[in-house]
Amino acid sequence: MTKPGLALSFGYDDGSLRALANVKAELRDIYALPDIDLNDFSVLFVSMHSDQRFLAARAGQIEEYLVRGGVVVANGHHAYPYLPRMAGFHTIDNYKLSDITVLRLAAHPIWHGIDPHDLTFRRGVSGFYGRVWHDAPPDALVIHALGQPNLPLDFIYPVGRGHVLFHGGNDLWTFGGEDKQLAPRIMQWVTEGRNVQ
Amino acid sequence: MSLAILDGGTFYHHAAIHGRRYRALFDKIIYAPELTADALTDVTFLIVPDRINPNVLRANRDVLIQFAKAGHTLVVFGENRADTWLPGVTWAARPTNFWWWLDKTAHPPHRLLAPDHEFFQAVPFESTIWHFHGVLTPPPGARALIDVPADPEGRDSGGALLYEDRVTLPGRLLVSTLDPFYHHGSNFMPATTKFLDGFLPWAKRKAAPQTDRGGR
Repeated sequence: MTKPGLALSFGYDDGSLRALANVKAELRDIYALPDIDLNDFSVLFVSMHSDQRFLAARAGQIEEYLVRGGVVVANGHHAYPYLPRMAGFHTIDNYKLSDITVLRLAAHPIWHGIDPHDLTFRRGVSGFYGRVWHDAPPDALVIHALGQPNLPLDFIYPVGRGHVLFHGGNDLWTFGGEDKQLAPRIMQWVTEGRNVQ
Repeated sequence: MSLAILDGGTFYHHAAIHGRRYRALFDKIIYAPELTADALTDVTFLIVPDRINPNVLRANRDVLIQFAKAGHTLVVFGENRADTWLPGVTWAARPTNFWWWLDKTAHPPHRLLAPDHEFFQAVPFESTIWHFHGVLTPPPGARALIDVPADPEGRDSGGALLYEDRVTLPGRLLVSTLDPFYHHGSNFMPATTKFLDGFLPWAKRKAAPQTDRGGR
């Protein structure tokens, strides 16, 4: 029996949470986190709309969950220290298209068959997928970089027996289009043992 | 006598509020889950940025309403479900059209209804134009400052994107569906930065004692 995922809600209806409606994930209010046993869940979905200041106050709970084998899929810009082993982010002032072009550095089943060009652009407009870059831990698998290969955008790194899948932009599970939706692919990657390489 | 802002703890609130560009304008930054009546002592102008968790706002509705009742100015931006906690607010969702500007011949539906209003001396109307998340129906006696016509697909009959209400409560309410803090704080959409470049210094001026400025 596979454990469900857990998505933390933020009080209003949004396309981000609707994009998770078709995967096996429970939706719970973010401020209920202290009362939740994360070990009941296979993956924790953290939206870019989350109160990171609150999450940082729960960093111990999140790290403990990871160490015991949990998976955290985290989005947005890491502004408060709620994830272990993460550093800050770097903005790109007055960015041009070449600065925010998505570069694929490694193949990964979640993005299999998806052209990075289709991540860079949404209806011809760039920037939805990512606009800043983060320092990835040295042992992270960097899937995508932003503009230059040494500026990580999507990466996976270990914490104890668990993993963080970090996406430094708009919520990852809202991408992929109708036939290649990332939400079920993320769930499949989690349930199939998340072979990282 | 000061300008205060609620901070929802997201990365974009952090960037917009604590970032260098605007940080010095705020006399007080209140983490929304820690809002109390005491935190608003001496505050005359309170900004509720877009995308503060509505559960938190509803839990503090008495504090917020009491603040406006005391004759102060309360500005509430979009995606806060103000219709569930602030008197007089009626909001209808409209699916967001992020793409209206891709058609070079298209005109934004926004209409400036109150060009004489002081708000637009600080914030050029052009800097209020980006996508929007639903429309407001101002209560009787309130003044719509920006509106849009009926939804072309018939889902609503149009409404305000920004209105000023001086009648529902003794204070002044400015209510909007716009979401500038999210987009500025996300390093996306320069129009929202221009909006805040005008709005926040204006808010700072309005929060100060109105002795020799002559503005209302």
